[in-house]
Amino acid sequence: MDIRDSSPAQDVILEVVGVSKSFPGVKALDNVSFDLRRGEVHALVGENGAGKSTLMKILSGVYQADEGILRYKGEEVTFRDVTQARDAGVGIIYQELNLIPHLSVAANIFIGREPLTQLGTLDEKKMNDDTVAILNRLNVSLDPTIRLNQLSVSKQQMVEIAKALFFDSEVLIMDEPTSALTESEIEELFRIIHTLRDRGVAIIYISHRLEELKHIVDRISIFRDGHWVSTNDYADIGMDEIVNRMVGRKIQNQFPPKQNDPTTEKMLEVHNIVRKGILHDISFDLYRGEILGISGLMGAGRSELGRAIFGADPIDSGEVIMNGNKLSLKSPSDAISAGIAYLSENRKEEGLAVEMQLTENITMANVQGVSQRFGVLSRGRETKVAQEYVDQLVIKTPSLTQIVKNLSGGNQQKTVIAKWLFCNSKILIFDEPTRGIDVGTKYAVYKLIGRLAQEGKGIIMISSDLPELFGLADRLLVLHEGRLAATLTTAETTPDEVLNYAAGLGTFTSSSIKN
Amino acid sequence: MNAIVTDQIEKEVPEETRGKKRAGSALDKFISLGAVIVLFAFFSITARNFFTVRNVLTLALQTSTITLMGIGETFTIITAGIDLSIGSVIALSGTIAVMASIAGLPIWLSMIIGLIVGVVCGLLNGLMITRLKLPPFIATLGMMMVARGVALTITNANAWPAAEGFGVLGNGAILGTGPQFPGISYPVIIMILVFIIFSFILNRTRIGRYTYALGSNEEAARLSGIKVNGVKIVAYIISGLLAGLVGVILASRMVTSQPNSAVGYELNAIAAAVIGGTSLMGGVGTVGGTVIGSFIIGILTVGLTMAGANYFMQQIVIGLVVIGAVAVDQLRSHA
Repeated sequence: MDIRDSSPAQDVILEVVGVSKSFPGVKALDNVSFDLRRGEVHALVGENGAGKSTLMKILSGVYQADEGILRYKGEEVTFRDVTQARDAGVGIIYQELNLIPHLSVAANIFIGREPLTQLGTLDEKKMNDDTVAILNRLNVSLDPTIRLNQLSVSKQQMVEIAKALFFDSEVLIMDEPTSALTESEIEELFRIIHTLRDRGVAIIYISHRLEELKHIVDRISIFRDGHWVSTNDYADIGMDEIVNRMVGRKIQNQFPPKQNDPTTEKMLEVHNIVRKGILHDISFDLYRGEILGISGLMGAGRSELGRAIFGADPIDSGEVIMNGNKLSLKSPSDAISAGIAYLSENRKEEGLAVEMQLTENITMANVQGVSQRFGVLSRGRETKVAQEYVDQLVIKTPSLTQIVKNLSGGNQQKTVIAKWLFCNSKILIFDEPTRGIDVGTKYAVYKLIGRLAQEGKGIIMISSDLPELFGLADRLLVLHEGRLAATLTTAETTPDEVLNYAAGLGTFTSSSIKN
Repeated sequence: MNAIVTDQIEKEVPEETRGKKRAGSALDKFISLGAVIVLFAFFSITARNFFTVRNVLTLALQTSTITLMGIGETFTIITAGIDLSIGSVIALSGTIAVMASIAGLPIWLSMIIGLIVGVVCGLLNGLMITRLKLPPFIATLGMMMVARGVALTITNANAWPAAEGFGVLGNGAILGTGPQFPGISYPVIIMILVFIIFSFILNRTRIGRYTYALGSNEEAARLSGIKVNGVKIVAYIISGLLAGLVGVILASRMVTSQPNSAVGYELNAIAAAVIGGTSLMGGVGTVGGTVIGSFIIGILTVGLTMAGANYFMQQIVIGLVVIGAVAVDQLRSHA
């Protein structure tokens, strides 16, 4: 499937010169320049926080640059909003799907530019017919009248692509388009990208899956920490070099040295968990002092598995045994009293009362631990407990009464951890523990997770960041469409193997250990 | 556990959901329409004189008020908002229309002024929500108090008799042939026209489509180039306009300014929309459903009255219907 057979035309359609963009507390883009040619597929790669998404949002009119110039078809432009960029021919497919769940497939594709009949009413027939036609071009067969929220994630993504295709965009930005697609759907997508490129469309392709770039990419630009690093013809640069430039020097000290030493003492046994349509017959063990990573693509059921063990979502069958006792999984309160903590990926929505004080948040899940007789709170005891955890976890805060909303992301994360430690949790389930945290603080969170394991806690770490899992986890569970595709020992596997299993391609090999 | 099996599952899903969806929506319509018919049949048997031409016309007239309000409320609720100011806006627009007629303006112009008052209130609600970023609950709660206060102030809390001829709209009818068939009241005709017009707007026009889009996923709607603030303002204007219309009709029916009227009517409008399947989370609801919801409330009120149940009992029954309708909806959508 190598389609880099024609040499791209050399004329530049879009040029970015010296663009900078800051948000409160962070410079997301710093003096970035790059250019895009007609008829090329141009990969943009970089770690989380490298500035790719910010750049894309500037190109598509969501943000405006603080400094620098955008030149489109030779003319200096500023896209004030999405509509303006789109009408000029710059389309974008977002990573997080931007579709309307309660509207039909056709209504979603035509949203904002519905064809009208002569009476000025919506021309449903034309919309449905054209939708079928464009989906046919994508080799997707879907009822155009079906509502979006009744489709699988991958089908929704196909609708998103069809929507962008319909604009006859001259520049098409794709942000992680394959993250939720199956292998055959990815091949379809590549075929479509090929067709578009041959028609002269310039495509910016953002992906974390470096191995798939070789199928489609003409040139590649690498970003790191808001800076442009390099732009090369893809043929001139090797995979090792790409990775080196992406991570820069910090590759050596991105993760703390291994602190924990897993025991052979089973802490948690999960037997045949089933939640219809979401989790299919999942079993695994967790050992004392172990960090167990959970990997998988978007929608594979990673968070759902964590929530099931915690009792946050009802399961249809299966059991969880902790230290020999079968747990009732009816509600989180059972799991909490058994010593299981779930640290949600949505810290702000689910983990913290952000309008309340640091102290109050730390003691929230164990108020009786700071109460005197008759349920009267002891402020003195509460302050003492909070101070202990602030010191122990190095939570940076001006005072114990600080409103949590005003703490940084990393310190908020530590506050959630403190809260669960004060509940005497023995097993901590971390769901995307470093999402939205800056690079420096990540290290501190990794160190803390490692130390918790070293102290004999059992850690389950759900993450979409593979390097993070490889840096910390002892073993990895790989989920694919709600099934356990593989249980791997981190030291004996490779990111490629994990991705293969996650994409549903893997077969069991000698390196995989099934419990 | 292998790719082939999961691939097959993947491909079968759309076929399955397709059938489910069709059957589901047909069933929904059947159930709610069925409820109206069952109620109607029930009261026809239990209450004498319920199933008479005269009574059915009365029922339609009484239900027209809640239907008109409910349709406006449906627009705001579909955007994931709410309009609590309806009752007060009814009182204010009716009052101002009456005062205009007393001041000597022609009847038709007085009534149009009443409608404009409703539109202005709706516009102000919309501006508070989009420009001042107030939650709809707060903005319209404020408007509820302000509009009521203004109505009381300009009338000095008195009921002023309207000018000659002001009562025709609320009390007149066409095609009447005498006591046996008193004719179809103007409010009922207005209700039918409003139903057709706003059903059409919601289903067949861009603004209707955007109303759903906005309530279903506001960020996606914005990124699709939809002027979400404009759409929101239109929804509140529609709600205000229909409240103004009800205000004029009620003032006409009573032929006086009634600054204390229509207190709490917005709650009936919300109940009608909710019984009719509109989701307070936004993105879901139809004008037709709200009309059915209004008639369920109307039939219960009239039927229970004729069956001898007092007002307190009616409140209990309608309250249970609201709870039951939403509970059934929740259970079905989570099943």
